[in-house]
Amino acid sequence: MTDAMSLGRSTSGEADAPLPRPTGGPAIAQRSAAPAAARSVPAFRGLRAVLANRKARIALMILVPIRVLTALLPWLPLQAPLQTNLRAMMKPPSFTFPFGTDRMGRDVLSRTLEGVKVSLFVGFSVAFISLVFGIVLGTVSGFFGKVVDRAIMTVVDIFLAFPSLLLAIGLVSIVGTGLVPVIMAIALADIPRFIRLQRSLVLGLRSRAYIDAARTVRASQWWLLSRHVVPNTIASLLVAASIAAANAILVEASLSFLGLGIMPPEPSLGNLIRDGQTYLEQAWWISTLPGVVILAIAISLHFLSDGIREVLDPRSRK
Amino acid sequence: MLAFVLKKFAQLFVTTLGVVTLVFFTLRLIPGDAASAMAGDSLSGEALERLREQMGLTQPLMTQYATYLKSLLVLDFGQTITTGLSVYDLMKSALPITLLIALSTIVITVVAAIPLGTLAAFMAHKGRKGLDNLITGTAMVLDLMPSFWTGLVFLLFFSLTLRWFPASGDVDMSDPFSVLHRLALPVLVLAVTQIATMARITRTAVLEVLGEDYIRTARSLGWSELRVLFRHALKNAALPIVTVIGLSFGSLLNGTVIVEFIFNIPGIGSLLVNGINSRDYQMVQNLIIFYALIFVTINFATDIIYRKLDPRVTF
Amino acid sequence: MTYAKSITDTILDVRDLHTHFFTDTGIVKAVNGVSFELRRGERMAIVGESGSGKSAMAMSLIRLLAHPGRVVEGEVWLEGQNLGSMTEKDLNGIRGSAVGTIFQDPMSSLDPVMRVSDQMIPPIARHLRLKPKEAREMAVGWLDKVGIPDAARRIDAYPFEMSGGMRQRVMIAMALSCNPRLIIADEPTTALDVTIQAQIVELLRRLTSETGTAMLFITHDLGLVSRFARTVAVMYAGRIVEIGPTASVFRKPRHPYTQSLLRTIPRISGESRERLLQIPGFPPDMKRPVVGCAFKDRCPAAHARCLEETPEAQRRGPDHAAACFLPNGLDDAPVAVAAVAHRTADEERPWRSLPRQDVLEINNLTRHFVGQSLLPWVKPPTVRAVNGVSLRVRRGETLGIVGESGCGKSTIARMLLGLDEPTSGEIFIQGTGQMVFQDPSSSFNPKMKVADIIEEPLVVQKRGTREERAGKVRSLILQVGLDPSYLDRFPNQLSGGQRQRVAVARALALNPSVVVADEPTSALDVSVRAQIVNLLCDLKEELGVSFVFISHDLSTVRYVSDWIAVMYLGEVVEYGPAEQVFQTPAHPYTRALLDAVPVLDPEAEAEREIRVISGELPSPMNIPPGCAFASRCPKVTPLCRDEKPALVQRRPQRQEACHHAG
Repeated sequence: MTDAMSLGRSTSGEADAPLPRPTGGPAIAQRSAAPAAARSVPAFRGLRAVLANRKARIALMILVPIRVLTALLPWLPLQAPLQTNLRAMMKPPSFTFPFGTDRMGRDVLSRTLEGVKVSLFVGFSVAFISLVFGIVLGTVSGFFGKVVDRAIMTVVDIFLAFPSLLLAIGLVSIVGTGLVPVIMAIALADIPRFIRLQRSLVLGLRSRAYIDAARTVRASQWWLLSRHVVPNTIASLLVAASIAAANAILVEASLSFLGLGIMPPEPSLGNLIRDGQTYLEQAWWISTLPGVVILAIAISLHFLSDGIREVLDPRSRK
Repeated sequence: MLAFVLKKFAQLFVTTLGVVTLVFFTLRLIPGDAASAMAGDSLSGEALERLREQMGLTQPLMTQYATYLKSLLVLDFGQTITTGLSVYDLMKSALPITLLIALSTIVITVVAAIPLGTLAAFMAHKGRKGLDNLITGTAMVLDLMPSFWTGLVFLLFFSLTLRWFPASGDVDMSDPFSVLHRLALPVLVLAVTQIATMARITRTAVLEVLGEDYIRTARSLGWSELRVLFRHALKNAALPIVTVIGLSFGSLLNGTVIVEFIFNIPGIGSLLVNGINSRDYQMVQNLIIFYALIFVTINFATDIIYRKLDPRVTF
Repeated sequence: MTYAKSITDTILDVRDLHTHFFTDTGIVKAVNGVSFELRRGERMAIVGESGSGKSAMAMSLIRLLAHPGRVVEGEVWLEGQNLGSMTEKDLNGIRGSAVGTIFQDPMSSLDPVMRVSDQMIPPIARHLRLKPKEAREMAVGWLDKVGIPDAARRIDAYPFEMSGGMRQRVMIAMALSCNPRLIIADEPTTALDVTIQAQIVELLRRLTSETGTAMLFITHDLGLVSRFARTVAVMYAGRIVEIGPTASVFRKPRHPYTQSLLRTIPRISGESRERLLQIPGFPPDMKRPVVGCAFKDRCPAAHARCLEETPEAQRRGPDHAAACFLPNGLDDAPVAVAAVAHRTADEERPWRSLPRQDVLEINNLTRHFVGQSLLPWVKPPTVRAVNGVSLRVRRGETLGIVGESGCGKSTIARMLLGLDEPTSGEIFIQGTGQMVFQDPSSSFNPKMKVADIIEEPLVVQKRGTREERAGKVRSLILQVGLDPSYLDRFPNQLSGGQRQRVAVARALALNPSVVVADEPTSALDVSVRAQIVNLLCDLKEELGVSFVFISHDLSTVRYVSDWIAVMYLGEVVEYGPAEQVFQTPAHPYTRALLDAVPVLDPEAEAEREIRVISGELPSPMNIPPGCAFASRCPKVTPLCRDEKPALVQRRPQRQEACHHAG
């Protein structure tokens, strides 16, 4: 079994025979150079590999159209999100109102799309902020160790003592409601997780032979970090970041649902669902359909994360 | 072992102190101060000054901090500003309900998720992808359903359509039937997410163990696949699973806040949401600290259990 | 022994076995029609490089293949029963009872959270229908037989409380405990140190002889075959290419692959210093159909027929068969295979005119690792990894450092390169030192191209312009025998041997005076190992670079080194010219190490008196006061336990630390 597996690996690349080395002179023509993909930039190579992954493609096939629809919202044949329509109050889903209308006759679909715009913004902002702070602080903590590490990790542990939604609730209760405070609150709950992840990745890399090899030629700390450590953590961080984006979208929705996040009239998927809660019996669509959209976005982001991970480590495909 | 417990306990102490300190100083960061934030525009300058005095905000910061620590130690959580009730009494009556919800969810989760996850892992290991994909796929969808949305869907279906459970009403802790009737739905909502999470974790853990060399050794001694699965694989997979049970307690606590809000249950989650809506910082501060303490204590306990389960760790 | 007689004796009869792995990316045909017979009490070795299908074949016999592996064709007859057509339930009655199995890695093959007793006793009770108490007695008896001290108590230990050697003994006891007729041992000693390996091999040999158990021994180590097996089957690309009595196969191998393999390995005895033979190329991709002979691309004797037709096994002598169209393999090659070149030491090299001064000097080097104590009032444990080592390396010479794992050799390497700080002592290097690492899979940044990897030292040291550096990189890659087209590749597109070549090129970038190579060949297959060893030797000749060559592989160390330092528990116990140390070892530990290594000659092995040293390495946390080797030394006297012997010179050029040497 191990035999067959290692065989699968060792012969998978097109491996040319190393030249025998008579002292005469080498330079026997070899089969032509590496495949085209290998010549391109690593980042580009990674993107192409991710696109070749089935799960990642499914994810993008859901996310991209949703994002395009939100961008095209003003030109879609839909009633504007904030426009009320007293002649069409609490209408069930129909051709004109695919998601139905709410108690003031507003179009649930256009409000949902407007909410999705907010959700995606929150998701990606949180993922980006956590990623940046996570990389900086986690790298410092893992690579330099000692006192800095202890200080950072103690603070991280304190933040991790709060269940994430509760920490966000607590912070929002202080800094107030609205888009920016919500993003800050969710990111603050996520940053410690990213610091931890980055720190453990860095610790794993620190003992790699190529770091030692660079040390033996007296490479500076900056060189080690920028050339060898951080580039090799980015991919794993992206896996975590797309999950963090999904999570942030869910937390924002929860906060808004509790009345602690983004406040009406600005639509957010959470406060849309909260609006519908009172009329659940009479107008089930107001609360349930936006939830389906949240679920679809969350699932796609997880698929995207799975896809990136599979590209990174083909053995994880189980 | 004792050394390990002591070390962990020291960590627990540091974290707790950190939590308490963080909450205290964050509250002092509020623009203006807690009193004005709480009062909003409702109070005149003089009344606000009185409120400040009453809250001890006129004293030096470190004195306030010391007083605050001392009162926490003797479980004096103060009074709610709006109603003047004792925070301690409010929490005392709300806590059993929340704990009951959380603990019954955990029991249901463990009973349902571990067999499901193990089954999925076994199928995946054998290369029979059908059943594994079904379990894994369903778990993923359930795991990602926002719990407030699941709650509403369940409410719509079980309470409003089928009328099996009431959507609101008192919880009389002395009447088991009423408790069951009232709490079954919230527990179910929480359990759906928790089962999904834990089944996925169990699957990963068991699948990894099934690839280990000692599993092959056990098979080479003539044991059947099922015996190997239950005697060897599950026992080894128990270690990561225990850790995850501890960590997922955090998302469970998040969930209790949401279901208590949806189903109008007078637990500590409802206290928290009401507290924020009425800008009752005394209440909010104590509740947040309380949640954090539950969470770190549970993780302390799982750390200890983990070491107990794993014979390799010797101290 | 005639063929007719052998049939009545046959215990295992494998006919045309085919095993495939149905992976997502294609079907890997790991085993392609293997047939052989094993007689009662016979020890047969299956040898082959990684990927030859030997382990997959062995696991197929008792259907222990994990998904996606499956036996697709063939029969396995064990004592008249066809295991291939048995139900899983019936097969479970055979596994562990009629067939015992021993696996490669003792550290991972026992369940970590179960006591040895809980893993060992239930199978005995079940297969032999014994009461738990009787089964326990039996288990204790077996543990005693395999040499576990205080077996009645140790049986209740957890695996982690035992060393690797002890765990492998437990595995052997488990495999033998239900009186099997056949033992399948899959690389049972690969993960162990040489002296422990020798102990385990002796134990297996003794016990299988006593019980008359037949044994299938899967290994990549030809030396072990010659010490251990009566019959040997050589596997290549999922087939047996040569099979026969060990003595006959080693004396006159008939298949080109066997012939090449035997010549790629440096000998540990004798004085030959010829260049090692290299097998060019790689084994075929088993996902693609193999047309003709699988070895044709690497075979110097391949001709037209080999391209189309697959050779079947043909008789070459009593019980000896080879799957080649040429009766004598390479010896019948139409074109003469290039004569083995001798190493040329006397050629004129510019560096030879330089004074032969010391380029590396180590004085009284120590390195102690202080552990972490959980409680502040408990003294932290201290590991004395290196304990007062002094060494010298002259220009253009190679110093080999040998010793078992935990002897401190890698710690010295790290200190030489400034990756670790000595606790005390001094290191002087003339010029710069560079490193070639062991593990070719983690020694390169996966995000960097080969060109960037080789260039990195030059960039870091700000040497030359961009163009000058590119030129230097080109000349370096040519120097290690790779085509410049490889510069555009990423490390995961290279094979293990190619990666080590790149590692060498990089190490040479700064024109170092010393290159430290820490186990540079131990992760490579035998045929590739020879390529790297030859490369290092050539570079030493051409450039006058000094090498510090660290390895546990004694025959390779001997082949490349001018001087040898033997280390035991952080100290040098013997030092001298390589040839002398190997031919007349003075320290009992050196002798024990050399005894532990089997030679490639079954007849010599049979006559050789093998003194296996008992016991295991003491913990470096708790080194005994006298001679560190006293606990295992056959010559030990009270003096050794009281007084530490110093490393002294008794003869010219030779030093040893032993009270009883000389």
